[in-house]
Amino acid sequence: MPATVTSISPRRAGGPSRTPQPPRRPFRDNPRLILAGIGVLVGVLVALLVLASGTSRFSPDFLSEFVLYALSAADLTMLAALVFVLARNIIKLVVERRKALPFARFRAKLVALLLGMTLVPTVLVLIVGSELIRTNIDRWFNAPMAEILSSANQIAGDYYQEQQMLASDHANRLARMLAAVDLTNADVRPIRDVLAPDVTLQRVQMVEVYRVVPSAGSLPSLESVVDVAAPSLPPGYSRAAADRLAAQALAGSAEARSIETLGSSGDLLHAAAVIRSKEGRATGVVVATAYLTGDLAARSRRMTQAFESYNQLRVLKRPLTGLYLSFFLMVTLLILFGATWMGSYLAKRITRPVLMLAAAAREIGAGRLDQRVEPQSNDEFGSLVEAFNAMAGELAASRRKVDRGTIDLERKHVEVEGRRRYIETILERITTGVVSVDAAGAITTINSAAARLLSLSPQIVGQPVIAVFDRLDLRPLGALMAGAQRAKTEPTAHEIALAREGQELHLAAVATALVGESGAAEGVVLVLDDVTPLIRAQKVAAWREVARRLAHEIKNPLTPIQLSAERLRRHFSTAPPQAKALVDECTATIVGEVESLKGLVDEFSQFARMPSPRTVPTDLAQLITDTIALYNGIFTDVRIEQRFAPGVPLVMLDPEQVRRVIINLVDNSIEAMERRGQIVVETQLDAANNVVRVIVADNGPGIPPAEREKLFLPYYSTKRRGSGLGLAIVRRIIAEHGGSIDVGDNTPRGTRFTIELPC
Amino acid sequence: MQPRKHEGTKKATKKAKAFSFSCLRVFVVAWVCVGVGRAATIDDLVPDIRVTPIERDGQVLVSFDLSDGFTPDVRDAIQSGLSTSFSYEVELRRGSPLLDRTVASVTITATVRFDNLTRRYQMSRTLDGRVEDARPTEDRESVRGWMTHFERIPLSTTSALEANVEYYVRVRAHARPHNAWFFWPWGSTVLGQAKFTFIQ
Repeated sequence: MPATVTSISPRRAGGPSRTPQPPRRPFRDNPRLILAGIGVLVGVLVALLVLASGTSRFSPDFLSEFVLYALSAADLTMLAALVFVLARNIIKLVVERRKALPFARFRAKLVALLLGMTLVPTVLVLIVGSELIRTNIDRWFNAPMAEILSSANQIAGDYYQEQQMLASDHANRLARMLAAVDLTNADVRPIRDVLAPDVTLQRVQMVEVYRVVPSAGSLPSLESVVDVAAPSLPPGYSRAAADRLAAQALAGSAEARSIETLGSSGDLLHAAAVIRSKEGRATGVVVATAYLTGDLAARSRRMTQAFESYNQLRVLKRPLTGLYLSFFLMVTLLILFGATWMGSYLAKRITRPVLMLAAAAREIGAGRLDQRVEPQSNDEFGSLVEAFNAMAGELAASRRKVDRGTIDLERKHVEVEGRRRYIETILERITTGVVSVDAAGAITTINSAAARLLSLSPQIVGQPVIAVFDRLDLRPLGALMAGAQRAKTEPTAHEIALAREGQELHLAAVATALVGESGAAEGVVLVLDDVTPLIRAQKVAAWREVARRLAHEIKNPLTPIQLSAERLRRHFSTAPPQAKALVDECTATIVGEVESLKGLVDEFSQFARMPSPRTVPTDLAQLITDTIALYNGIFTDVRIEQRFAPGVPLVMLDPEQVRRVIINLVDNSIEAMERRGQIVVETQLDAANNVVRVIVADNGPGIPPAEREKLFLPYYSTKRRGSGLGLAIVRRIIAEHGGSIDVGDNTPRGTRFTIELPC
Repeated sequence: MQPRKHEGTKKATKKAKAFSFSCLRVFVVAWVCVGVGRAATIDDLVPDIRVTPIERDGQVLVSFDLSDGFTPDVRDAIQSGLSTSFSYEVELRRGSPLLDRTVASVTITATVRFDNLTRRYQMSRTLDGRVEDARPTEDRESVRGWMTHFERIPLSTTSALEANVEYYVRVRAHARPHNAWFFWPWGSTVLGQAKFTFIQ
């Protein structure tokens, strides 16, 4: 019994699901109903056989009418059903085959094979059996039997005829004899005397005489006069038949004879004759009765019945033959019907579990690994189904493992990706430059800070570090990285100075070798920090300390020197003119230099102890205008132009300190232009960055790029005289305001100082 | 998975049922067509019954004669002692033969049984199941006339008819017992009909 697939249980959480079954038909898929159907079929066959065996007891009339009708109808119905089932199955198989449904060809072959195995022998048996039936039925009706039965019937019929004729003859004779007798006479002895001899001599067993009773306006009636019966007559017979026959005879009916059956007692053969007078008028009726004993009548009846049965069978030979053929056909159709149905059923039963497996395999192939098939038998199909389920279970478990791994991997990837983006963001945003090199010496990453600091393009990623860092200014860094790869000690910071557009850039560089878990070198990471402002601040702080100490140490002796010089002048004011002139000149020189030293010391003091700005909202344009107004009429060859951007808001600044800045810058410009040229002082508003720019530009000789960085250092000056602290103080003031100052070339020539202040 | 199983099962069951019903419909239609064809064939036979309807005294009376009905097979059946009947369905119809309605009908059955022992025929006639007449005879010719010749059988009153409308009387004759190999549902029927127009 092939494995059958039972109903699929509903999928529960965590449990495997079952492949959808083909539609289950309540009858075909229920073994009990199938067995019941087979039982009904067998019952019908048995009933047919019983009916067929009992056909000999039924009359041919009944057989040819009712039984043949029933069988014909049943045969037609069965034939119709069989043709319908066959056609349906064949069409279905053809359609399934055309649609290339799974196992359609196998099923078609199986059904065709079963049908062929059943149909061919069944039809052969039908043909041969039909011929046998026809031939054997013909044999029933042979000439000798027909002659025997016909002769027997003839003998019986002739005897009855003869007895009836004799009775009729006797009735006529008695009627003639009674014509001369007065029937109306009450005395019946004369009549009895006429009748008695016939009864005594057994010519007839009974004679009845009726007289005609005329009635006015209606037909005459008969009245019984006398009857003479032989003692051999069976008791209990009725005179009704004789009375009817007498009435018929009087009415002129041609039927003057009748037979009255007394059942097992025998038959009475009546014959009537009308008694007529000389005038021909009917005066009475005589009925003579012959008696046939029970045995004789029964034997005669049997002979006749045998003859009639035989002839009836012969007459109904065709319907009876059809009846037996119908039986045969019915059984054949039942067998064919059963075979057709069984073939289709078996084909489905065999292919269904395989179909289930194929469907489940497709589902699993589509990724639904929770599909299972439920085995219904313990045979090879059941083993196949169990093996399939085990395989599906293992596939599902592996898939789940893979899925879990994938999920973990994805989560880790997301984490790594996030971390990478975080690090990338940090690397891109930080001001520290980072350059990484892999073990092969190729640059793997360079952030924007490093590219900016080293003036390198981000497209150098992938290029060999040796080639990139072979540039003259970058060679120290290249050597540093090479040294880090070789070094076994902890990395240390190195300060490297690079020249950038004439300015010095100080970088704190640390090169660290990357080592993998196995100890293999995986590359080098170079970290760069721009320490130029730090260096500058350190320098400034150092200079400020120097300035403070110098101011303190130098300032003290200056006053006594100045006082002493003034004292000498006053003492030698009365000296001779030559001596007084010499003393005056020397003391003036001393006092002048002391004043100059004091001014220098004051500047040093200022530089050392710059007060915090006292900021107030200030109209920058107005401040500049007021400051530039101080130069009016002083330098005639210097033109100072003012340009102010509209909408510049009030800026929080210390007006005094900013004025000093502007004066310093303008003074430097005048000095650089040798008091001849143009100076433009303008303001710009950068609202996006909340910055106000003050630009002081001249058309002087300009400042070489190499000198620009040193401009803001203390004691650096290109002027013949001066402390060299002016721009340092300017930078300090701007820095205290939260701004910045930068120097660059003016267009077409000259120098341009740009101050940015927050607004 | 459950919803897909239910959908697939329902669809497949629906398809199977639809397919079966289609086949059954085709089959039944074919069977009916054969029957109608057969019936039509029967109806188109040349009638063997002479039918003569007349109107007399407010009644429609029908006389008919199955001239060739007493075949040797019938004689043989009678002589063998089988109870042999000729049933006549007499109908008065209005309209065309295909689309008509029955106005009146009557069924007459003539039966005869021969006793081979007494050599007498017992004849009887019924009209719509009521015994109208029964008599014995020894005359074979009387039997033939008894079975095949009918005079003035009352069919309907004229009050049920419309004036100037064409009617026709149709007589179908069936014989029993059947002497065929197979009982064809539509049987072998002898047919006769006659038209008349009721004129008032």
